[in-house]
Amino acid sequence: MSVETVAGPALASACDDVREAVDGDSVDGVPPGHVARPASTDETAGLLRTAAELDLAVVARGAGTKLTWGTPPERVDLVLDLSRMDAVLDHAAGDLVAVAQAGCPIDRLQETLAAAGQRLAIDGTLPGTTLGGGIATNSSGPRRMLNGTFRDLMIGTTVVRADGVIAKSGGRVVKNVAGYDLGKLMTGSFGTLGVVTEAVFRLHPLPTASQVLAVDVRDATTAAALVAAVVHSDVVPTAVEVDWPAGVVAVLLEGTEQGVDSRTAATRTLLTGAGASTVDIAEQLPPWWGHHPEGVLLKLTCSLSAVGGLLQEAARQGVAVRGSAGAGVLYGGLPADAEVAAAVTVLRAFCLAAGGSLVVLAAPADVRSTVDVWGPVPALELMRAVKGQFDPHRRLSPGRFVGGI
Amino acid sequence: MTTDALAAAASGQSIDLPTPAFDEYRPPSAALVGDCVHCGFCLPSCPTYVLWGEEMDSPRGRIDLMKQGLEGDPLTDSMVGHFDACLGCMACVTACPSGVQYDRLIETTRAQVERRHQRTRRDKALRGAIFALFPYPRRLRALRGPLRGWQRIGGDRLLRRTGLLERIAPSLAAMERLAPRLGKAERLPERTAAIGTRRATVGMLTGCVQREFFPAVNAATVRVLAAEGCDVVVPAKQGCCGALSVHNGREPEALRFARALIDSFENAGVEWVVVNAAGCGSTMKEYAELLRDDPAYAVRAVAFATKVRDVSEILVELGPVATRHPLPITAAYHDACHLAHAQGVRAQPRALLNGIPGLQLREIADPAICCGSAGIYNVLFPEPARELGDRKAANVLATGAELLVTANPGCLMQVAASVERAGETIALAHTVEVLDASIQGRPVASLTGGGTSS
Amino acid sequence: MSSTHGTTKTAGAVVGPSAPERSGPTGDSPQVRAVRRRVQELLPAKTVITDHARLRTYECDGLAHYRVTPALAVLADSVDDVATTVRICAEERVPFVARGSGTGLSGGALPRADGVLIVMSRMRAIREVSAEDQRAVVEPGVINLDVTKAAAAHGYYYAPDPSSQQICSIGGNVAENSGGAHCLKYGFTSNHVTGAEFVAPDGSVVELGGRALDAPGYDLLGTVIGSEGTLGIATAVTVRLTRTPEHVVTVLAGFPSTDDAGAATSAIIGAGIVPAAIEMMDALAIEAAEAAVHCNYPEGAGAVLVVELDGPEVEVRQEFDQVERLCRDNGAFAFRVANDDVERALIWRGRKSAFAAVGRISPDYIVQDGVIPRTSLPKVLRAIAELSASSAVRVANVFHAGDGNLHPLVLFDDSEEGQGEAAEEISGKILDLCIEAGGSITGEHGVGMDKSAYMPRMFSDADLDTMQMVRCAFDPNNISNPGKIFPTPRLCGEVPGRHKGEHPLAKSGIAEIF
Repeated sequence: MSVETVAGPALASACDDVREAVDGDSVDGVPPGHVARPASTDETAGLLRTAAELDLAVVARGAGTKLTWGTPPERVDLVLDLSRMDAVLDHAAGDLVAVAQAGCPIDRLQETLAAAGQRLAIDGTLPGTTLGGGIATNSSGPRRMLNGTFRDLMIGTTVVRADGVIAKSGGRVVKNVAGYDLGKLMTGSFGTLGVVTEAVFRLHPLPTASQVLAVDVRDATTAAALVAAVVHSDVVPTAVEVDWPAGVVAVLLEGTEQGVDSRTAATRTLLTGAGASTVDIAEQLPPWWGHHPEGVLLKLTCSLSAVGGLLQEAARQGVAVRGSAGAGVLYGGLPADAEVAAAVTVLRAFCLAAGGSLVVLAAPADVRSTVDVWGPVPALELMRAVKGQFDPHRRLSPGRFVGGI
Repeated sequence: MTTDALAAAASGQSIDLPTPAFDEYRPPSAALVGDCVHCGFCLPSCPTYVLWGEEMDSPRGRIDLMKQGLEGDPLTDSMVGHFDACLGCMACVTACPSGVQYDRLIETTRAQVERRHQRTRRDKALRGAIFALFPYPRRLRALRGPLRGWQRIGGDRLLRRTGLLERIAPSLAAMERLAPRLGKAERLPERTAAIGTRRATVGMLTGCVQREFFPAVNAATVRVLAAEGCDVVVPAKQGCCGALSVHNGREPEALRFARALIDSFENAGVEWVVVNAAGCGSTMKEYAELLRDDPAYAVRAVAFATKVRDVSEILVELGPVATRHPLPITAAYHDACHLAHAQGVRAQPRALLNGIPGLQLREIADPAICCGSAGIYNVLFPEPARELGDRKAANVLATGAELLVTANPGCLMQVAASVERAGETIALAHTVEVLDASIQGRPVASLTGGGTSS
Repeated sequence: MSSTHGTTKTAGAVVGPSAPERSGPTGDSPQVRAVRRRVQELLPAKTVITDHARLRTYECDGLAHYRVTPALAVLADSVDDVATTVRICAEERVPFVARGSGTGLSGGALPRADGVLIVMSRMRAIREVSAEDQRAVVEPGVINLDVTKAAAAHGYYYAPDPSSQQICSIGGNVAENSGGAHCLKYGFTSNHVTGAEFVAPDGSVVELGGRALDAPGYDLLGTVIGSEGTLGIATAVTVRLTRTPEHVVTVLAGFPSTDDAGAATSAIIGAGIVPAAIEMMDALAIEAAEAAVHCNYPEGAGAVLVVELDGPEVEVRQEFDQVERLCRDNGAFAFRVANDDVERALIWRGRKSAFAAVGRISPDYIVQDGVIPRTSLPKVLRAIAELSASSAVRVANVFHAGDGNLHPLVLFDDSEEGQGEAAEEISGKILDLCIEAGGSITGEHGVGMDKSAYMPRMFSDADLDTMQMVRCAFDPNNISNPGKIFPTPRLCGEVPGRHKGEHPLAKSGIAEIF
């Protein structure tokens, strides 16, 4: 009797929604055996216990928007589809806290929260992105400049370990230093340490007004000057984005109507003083806002003062760049048929020298094989040790993460 | 008992129990030690902690050491070293939110140390030489003027052997260069009448270092007090107030000085005893505590102590009557520890200076940190004192002020030497000298030395 | 009063293993002797403290109830000193404990009698302030407030501001994930540290995070921050600097009762305002602060709120109007605005000195630290008042009302028979109230030595076991600040490598491998 033969019934005994995988279930080209859709943390735990008993490799999936990020798994036996766990479990508006299941799309959570005049200050950068997917990749959008990312806003986590044990950390209060913050460890771990099933978030009030100031700019030096003028000022931008080489610097201001009006005026003065010829002011976000560039997707980070240089170097390498110039976290795109490896080498050197990093987030397999996806990762041995503790038999998304973790 | 001793006792060995650090006569108070909640708020105010970043050289750590002593641990050399290293600046008393009376703790501890700890011969000789010199104005006089001082004292074997002269010479020399007004010590009249309506009769302490090195400060004090309506009495037969002795645990000596000073002022018929040297004032305000066990003096000491005022306090209490003439100058005011921390006098000197038209007052960064002078500290511990002086000088110079104003002779000498070491110059004056110049209508140059400094 | 009075105690002793009041055995094992000899060979003489009197000044941190004299102390001057010491400790399997300014309130830096105390307070260089990158690189011994001082000239500051910011060190902040009054709006240390040079418990030196954000790999930095020194020692910290706000308004509002002040707090948050801080003090805490610093709070107030608004001027002014209205609507009878930094400092002085100030109205006291969802404030405060009334133990309340972080101060006189025990019982019950309300046993003081026994009340065995898997990854020999946070250590065992050996199904006979 093969493991495959045993797996179906064993999994079905842990969860009533298990099916054999089809083509569309492949994880970055790796076909799984089964897909299970647990309805609860307990069912997830049961499935992972079964997977442990059968030594099945497991990949958790939300909306499946970022399964091709990073490196492909070495093997997949079971896809844990968390789409049934999509509930907003609690919204304690008075405490500015919400609890939701991992399969809940970010947009849906936002709708619920908006009814009470609140939001999770995180952008869903890809349509349909779930909380779990966002947590696993620590994905972020323009508003991260002011509000941070999942690692900053998640205050409690329920995770199912590789051995099926359910563990919680943090809690329902924002201020809490009891025990290790496992949430931060899970954030951005690409599903290699455990399966996050529920999370608690701190919320912010929804702003009543917002304005976007956009400047067309041709040269990177001026773009950097515009960014610096706003970043080192008192106008408290929610986001400072750049679209390059399209040549746009855009500033998002959010707050009260009067406040945004006054800061819009101040920001316009700053931008003009830093070399902007015209400043377009609109309530609508520009169409490119928060969207990753096309093609092979890179994530580039650097110190703030190096953003101008990065734009210049990226343009030279034929890489389009969008992202948070105000946070120094940008996304690059270039055609798959370009000299990807060369561009990655040059830009990575630049980012490393500027205190940052370059990760090839998504690329076709043939391109990916020509590049170092993650680049140098300090403290890799400690990371391996952490993996060794949480998933000693390498069953959770094996190979999807840095250093082959 | 140490753990070693306990272990030895338990195993039945015969052992010599170490002598406990403190004896029954005025040990540091266990209750006061117990007031410390170990919060650490004193640490950044402590000059030695600022320099070395070590717990045992912080107020909290020294209180821990006292606690060990009270629990019966012996007075080891290391313990004494940390007590000795305290500058006694009392910045920690200001910083402490729990109101721990570190000043009383360190004073009682130091008295125990002096009585019970066997110092090295060299240390003993140095301390002996200091206390044979500083509290005695006449002996100090011999040091005045670098050449004359060097020659006359140079022959003194005691001073040479201890290196005392080398230790104090740099400060003295810097002082001579930076304070060109240092004139011949004039004898002050025993009584100076108030100008205009008499508002008070005050006695004035002339001090030791002040009298010999800064006679102009005493003269200015008399003039300002008189101008503000005070009859000023300067008892001729006054000696040292005992501050240096108190701060260094030399209790019998301190008691002797204190009694004599009370004697000098008791029959002078004064309402207040005015002091222009911060260290002296703080000790004189504590005479009641110092003499509390002396049946002949306890009550008299209370009466005396309540009359003691820093000159800036009395001037603010009386309120100005004399006209202030403009002094267009930028001045940085340096808080002397024994004025700011020990007496809580911070606002008054600033108020007086701010009352001078044209004078622009600038604040010095880290005002609470001692300049390293600390009585005789810079003589006993020249290295840390120099480091602290350099830090203070840098902060003083950073203000860009033309004139440094402070209310303690030790601070003036210390900062002067440090400023000079930094290759800079700044004019120096006591608060009353600035007031005096303003009231007398003298030009700024009378304070800055007529262009000899910045 | 005996010499032990005035020590700050907390609740741990009620349920926890009783900690030694005095130093235990000197721990002079062959391993400790070997460590002493080896560090003395490799480090400068002044760096290694072996003198008993000196060592005893390190026997406690800001929680003076627990005292243990370390076997030796290393006053590190460099990352090399730290790495050398830790490596030797690892080789000899001797525990080490890192200590910053020693102001912690949970005994997190309590030494081990059988171990080395590594003191970081001498590593206090601010290596770099880069306003253009909004970063500063500082050594762990640098005082929190000094970072702000260094950045101020550039228009920046370091946002986390624990009440002890004038003395607590950045290294200690990293260990405790310190917050402060302003974390309601600005977050905690973990939100303001982007990188660290870090000595792992095997003595290796690694970089965690970096100058830029989102370093690839696991967020080990975020895991280390708040781990109370149990995962290793940070030897340099890259912090994020925050733009000094354009406008700051600090108001002091006096209310008849804590209920009124609590209602005002809820109304302010409910109005969509995120103040930089909302602090509350009750009548007893006000009395203490008045005694200590003469802060001149409104007379007869049953509670005061300190509300600080910061940000762009227009918005701050709008919010200020709202806050004033909401306070008055909820019963504020006094409303005072600080017009400059001096007045602001005076308002804050009462609040920031409150802990130590309680020493003025009570010989002994316990500082408690618990968190509740803010909406539970009135209920929990009433429950605390009932506890206090029924036991005749006075409780002063000082807390960060905005985020529900309570600091009840339980007052007692240890010279009175039974008072200490009664106070500890009340203190423990307050934590139970916090847990029942869905909160936490510590919002900022940490678990340390003091509250490890409470961890099982908040977390399951599985939760704690999972946290300790991280511990095992970093410190398999359990030598980095052992005995803190976790009531029982996890045996780490052998770290398994790649899957090998017989397949579990094959082994159990269910399946054969073809």
